[in-house]
Amino acid sequence: MMNIKITGPQIQLQNVCLSYGEHDAQILGPITHTLAAGQCHVVMGPNGGGKTSLLRSMLGLTPFTGRIHLDWPNGRGRVAYVPQKASFEPSLPLTVMDFMLLNQSQTPLFWRRKAKTITRIKDQLAVLGMVEKAERKMGRLSGGEQQRVLFAQALLDAPDLIMLDEPANGMDEQGISLIEFLIKELVTKGASVVAVHHDLNAIKRIAHQVHVINKTLVTSGSVDQVLPKAQPTDFVSLCQLSQHQSNHQIRAMA
Amino acid sequence: MIQSIRDGAAYAAEQGWLSESFSYGFLINALLAALILGPILGGLGTLVIAKRLAFFSEAVGHGALTGIALGILLGEPVQSPLIGLFTFCMVFALLLHFVRSRTQVPYDTLVGVFLALALAVGAAMLTFVARKVNVHILENVLFGSILTVTDQDLWLLLISCVVILACLLPTFNRILLSSISPDIAKVRGVPATFFDYLFVIMITLITIAAVKMIGAVLVGALLLIPGATARLFTPNMSSFVRWSAVLATVSCLLGTWLPMELKLPVPSGAAIIMVSATFFLIACLYQIIFKERRRAV
Repeated sequence: MMNIKITGPQIQLQNVCLSYGEHDAQILGPITHTLAAGQCHVVMGPNGGGKTSLLRSMLGLTPFTGRIHLDWPNGRGRVAYVPQKASFEPSLPLTVMDFMLLNQSQTPLFWRRKAKTITRIKDQLAVLGMVEKAERKMGRLSGGEQQRVLFAQALLDAPDLIMLDEPANGMDEQGISLIEFLIKELVTKGASVVAVHHDLNAIKRIAHQVHVINKTLVTSGSVDQVLPKAQPTDFVSLCQLSQHQSNHQIRAMA
Repeated sequence: MIQSIRDGAAYAAEQGWLSESFSYGFLINALLAALILGPILGGLGTLVIAKRLAFFSEAVGHGALTGIALGILLGEPVQSPLIGLFTFCMVFALLLHFVRSRTQVPYDTLVGVFLALALAVGAAMLTFVARKVNVHILENVLFGSILTVTDQDLWLLLISCVVILACLLPTFNRILLSSISPDIAKVRGVPATFFDYLFVIMITLITIAAVKMIGAVLVGALLLIPGATARLFTPNMSSFVRWSAVLATVSCLLGTWLPMELKLPVPSGAAIIMVSATFFLIACLYQIIFKERRRAV
């Protein structure tokens, strides 16, 4: 078996709670849990269950109480994020290449571009099948194409930790397969991957660990433990389980 | 240096190489100011559009009315109440941005409230200013006048623009990224809040710097119109910024020179905006015709 050098962090959550709004209504937590390094973790659960909020908290984008600690094996590495969707104004002349350059270079967009940077970006876009659309405006791309570009920007720095919020949103079959392949490739390079995902079949293909979130951590474990032969119809029941119910009951349900 | 440029222009006018109007020193001063201001206004304007802050720059410009009144009341010279203008505009802009980041009030509503308040306070103060000076002198500051640009103003303008450029060049990409995708920017370690405030300070500084030429009330329009024009026909960000800078500069130059050449009693600010708006209308027309043709094909 190939020996993988892990570069991604272990993520430790200690009593993580999230509150929103004027009355500080608690929408998530408390969660105490550890996500192992160098694996693909899928966070799943019903809409409004707090998956995206948890992901954003791990990235430091949403305030929370408690503690989230990234334990890096070799000092702090590179972090990348693919949001659920980004809104690009169609009339703004921001091309795919411009967007990639914004993420890659501090030389102003209207300045002379470095050939080396352009080549690197084009290579990355080629991986995602978007190189021919490099001069298209971001706001004119379809949702799936935008998602590919967002994924391409995340891969630019060869991240050690990548957070994906529903990466297959709006993508065609080919795009989904490509994203899954790239996620697996990242893990084989030692990166840690945390993804919010809905598709049970896709989860079975890519995830090492599955964490079911519904306001709190409902259950967690390997794919075989959490989703043994689960059918899509089981998804709702799975999410509705309380934290106190054991994995045994989950297996019985499946 | 400025004197030698003026002498050179006067000589060229004498020889008949340039129009007679170029023999006037104040016109050369105003044209130099236009050359310095134009590219910065155009360049910053693209970010104003990307960040959807058009209404904000307008509000800062209107806030200048109060700043000017305040400066005059505190004893500053009527032609250049810079300290009052600078202090009020900066506090006004930063406060607006601070309230925006700390409340849930929609941004356009908030800017509307601040804009109305600034105008109201300014109008109230003008009553007191009118007791001290002839209010018509204020028209120069509100709508711009090429007669008022002195050598000292030019140096001040040059320093302001160099400072803005020094801030803008290394941060342009990050400011744009944090407005287009704030989350990705933050994950990449871009201090989005810091850049937001930096941008607000740059807008305020250019507004103050442009007051004499374009006028406090109209400077916001020049931050918007050249960018809005360029957006209609440019295919990428690079050409968007370049064309916006070119259009802003040409508007400033033509708006300064044409009224003088045609002997029209029009304030420079008004002329500059009218030229700029003409470019916008032409671009709109071009786009309509071009699209119609494409549809027909």
